[in-house]
Amino acid sequence: MDDALARSEAAGPEPLPPPSSPSSPPTVDVPRPRRSPGQWLQIFVPYIPSFVPLAIVAAIVVTLVLVTGLAPLNGLFTSKFAPTPSSGPASWGILVFVTGSFLTAVPALFFSMVIGLGIAIASVVYLPRIVTRFLDPCVDLLAGIPSVVYGIWAYLYVSTYFGSTLNPFLFRNLSWIPGVGGPAPPLSGLGLPISVFILTLMALPITTLLIRDALRTVPRDLWESGLALGATRWEVTRRVSIPYGRGGILSAAFLGFGRAFGETVAVAMVINVEASYPHNIFQGTGTVASLMFSILDSAYGNSQFLAALCYMGLALLAITLTVNVAGRYFISKLSATEIAGL
Amino acid sequence: MALPSVSTGATPDDNILFDRSARTRWRIGFDRWAGRLLPFLFLVAILPILDVVYYISKSALPTLTLKVLTDTSYRDPDALGVPIITTAEMMTLATLLAILFGLFGGIATAEFLSERAAGWARTFANMLAGTPSVIVGYLGYFAFCLYFGWGYTMIAGVLTLSLFMTPYIFRIADLAFSSIPRHIREAALGSGARPYQYILKVGAPIAFPQILNGVFLAVAIGVGETAPIVLTTHGSVILPQSLLSPAQFLTATIWENFNSPFPVAVALALQAAFILLVVVVGLNIVVRIISARYRKRLEGLFQ
Repeated sequence: MDDALARSEAAGPEPLPPPSSPSSPPTVDVPRPRRSPGQWLQIFVPYIPSFVPLAIVAAIVVTLVLVTGLAPLNGLFTSKFAPTPSSGPASWGILVFVTGSFLTAVPALFFSMVIGLGIAIASVVYLPRIVTRFLDPCVDLLAGIPSVVYGIWAYLYVSTYFGSTLNPFLFRNLSWIPGVGGPAPPLSGLGLPISVFILTLMALPITTLLIRDALRTVPRDLWESGLALGATRWEVTRRVSIPYGRGGILSAAFLGFGRAFGETVAVAMVINVEASYPHNIFQGTGTVASLMFSILDSAYGNSQFLAALCYMGLALLAITLTVNVAGRYFISKLSATEIAGL
Repeated sequence: MALPSVSTGATPDDNILFDRSARTRWRIGFDRWAGRLLPFLFLVAILPILDVVYYISKSALPTLTLKVLTDTSYRDPDALGVPIITTAEMMTLATLLAILFGLFGGIATAEFLSERAAGWARTFANMLAGTPSVIVGYLGYFAFCLYFGWGYTMIAGVLTLSLFMTPYIFRIADLAFSSIPRHIREAALGSGARPYQYILKVGAPIAFPQILNGVFLAVAIGVGETAPIVLTTHGSVILPQSLLSPAQFLTATIWENFNSPFPVAVALALQAAFILLVVVVGLNIVVRIISARYRKRLEGLFQ
């Protein structure tokens, strides 16, 4: 027995039976149908309207690239943006604005994820269905309010609270933290904090909606087995629901970041667009989208200026498209009707 | 109600159900307080909505008269007649164009494309929907205003806006036709309907409410857009005489006047914001009511 085993091992594995064993049905070569040009046209025609969005995206990219001409600009990857300097050549650094976009979008994403997670857990786990049927649409309505309305509300009304109360309070009590001390916050209340506030509100509906859907996809079996083992609702949420729905939560983070990063008008109204790094968290700075929007008029006729703006546009497009595609990748079973408008 | 007492001879410490250790009390208390406190986070979302509506209404309503809403004479720049009528015209045209660009693509994606090609088409639609509005505005500015030489005209604004609205209509058409149950589709095609007959006579009646809903949603999104419009057409005080004359959109009025040093101009911006808010929130509520009603009605069909 042992010898036989040793011999068979020495001989290597037994050769596989030939693929066409007599028991399997014989394969018949069906010739592919020959199609006339008219039939090929019939197959091809539906692809034309289906790829209109691709054509529009391609048109955007081609337009931006053509305007830049892919020409090297002076100091493009520096943080010095000076279109009309008093002396010397103009400098077209875009890093200040990319940094500014991250400075506003990342805190906004953090706040909206934390609040969104709380709202979603309250809605799915704790509140009765009859209450959430009225509360959930209210959160979704946040997404419906136009950004320019948020902007005028924040500029005329909310900024007074930031200028008179919140910013001085933070400045007095937290100025030992690096980044909070330094020059006193502007009295107008415009600047980074109110931009983060507005962006949090604008990212909140999409993060809440996606996290809610992720938590709802948890099978009832898992939920009830957790409870039956003696865990509290909070513990089942923490140890079962959130790990189970982590794909949806990740997609909420990606799409919320995309929303906050690309937001244009509301930020342009409240951030005090400036072409410099902020000295502390109360100052204004520029984001890519808000600068592209508010300065295009003054770039008319200056081809280098337009090229610099289009380089910024390409950077913005690359970041938002990457984030969006990554976010959609994680959405699996979603109530697609609700997401269609976001 | 008192529980029946069963004498088993066990002390409470032996049984997990009578566990009153500090850790268990902490766990149960944490859960209970999470349930009490987390719902208050809804206020973070709901209070800003109420505050926006309250502030905008409070500032706009006292000065909002019928004359402000309807006066279109250029002698009176403190009226909103011109932007309101122009916005209605432009939105009508842009919605029609967006339906033209998006509807057929969505239907073809759902009905004719292979699974793989449809996945790509949906990815591109999602990419376009995720594109920041200022980038679409740049396309309109460079392509329509400068390259085609149209300048700040109504047609440039309408086209840009329709490009912005296209992916929403595309996705909702795709979704509406994809969610028609398989057995209905196969019954129609199996009894000899041509694909176009199936789409027109079987698919369209089922998908229509959802598509109409999507169109409303796209209008609500489009009418609130500022960047694509301000970059392609603004700064007119009269009604557009033709497609090639400048036009004034409602959001552009807000953007031009919100930080004006003149209180009259700021009041005008607030009135425009109020009208916009009423239209957009109204459309959103209508969309929700329609979708809730038709979901119920369609569920019966899908069983």
